[in-house]
Amino acid sequence: MIVVLLLLHGLLAVALLGAITHQALSVLPLAPAQARRSFVGRFRSVNGPAYATPIVVLFVVTAIGGALLYPQYRVDVRPALEDMQNSAANGVFEIKEHLIAIGLGLLPAYWLLWQQPLEPGAAAAARRALTWLLALFVWWGFIVGHVLNNIRGMLP
Amino acid sequence: MRHPAMKIFSMLFGVFYIAAFYFDLALFRYYPEARQFHWARTDGIGVVILWYGWIVTAALASAAVAVAVPRTVAERLSPRWVWIVTTLVVIVTLIYERRWFV
Repeated sequence: MIVVLLLLHGLLAVALLGAITHQALSVLPLAPAQARRSFVGRFRSVNGPAYATPIVVLFVVTAIGGALLYPQYRVDVRPALEDMQNSAANGVFEIKEHLIAIGLGLLPAYWLLWQQPLEPGAAAAARRALTWLLALFVWWGFIVGHVLNNIRGMLP
Repeated sequence: MRHPAMKIFSMLFGVFYIAAFYFDLALFRYYPEARQFHWARTDGIGVVILWYGWIVTAALASAAVAVAVPRTVAERLSPRWVWIVTTLVVIVTLIYERRWFV
């Protein structure tokens, strides 16, 4: 059961990572018309507002999946890391849990700012910054989750 | 802007979360080996998870303030404060968590 939940958590995280990365790049200033035809240009040219609600749902559901997996980590994985005297691994996971929690709190303002067309100004800048903060949190959580999941195979 | 209280909630959530973490203010504690929730510290039943309790503490505290702040005040608050305060919270968190890497 825990393996199924871990796989599901990972798949949801992939979907969230893709969605938030598309949206984070879409809020960058528009590139020249020629650059828009490049791979990066096409990657960025998504309808950002359409991503907001799915990102909120994916973030919450993925975080709930992580919360359900957390007891297994606390009982089995963390003591093993402590036995290996690998405090850095525990540290990056601690940071992951803080960032995901802080990200959950950001979701209401993030969602609100994506529900309306914004003129350039403080609100548009806030929307861009919140999107990038959430993208940073998701990338950190994704990378740390994968590294810790595979850490026994990665260390000598 | 509709629902300006949501700005207050998001701006304060990180502050309350990190305060709950630093001052050990988890609303409840979960003991995974015993599969039990407790309001207070309970020794002898294994390791404890505080993370759930910190999140609920932060959610309740920031929701309470967001509801209490008058709508006119919430509307005047620039949305930039949400990301500025959160960025500061993240920086403080990273500075504190350096303890794992020394």
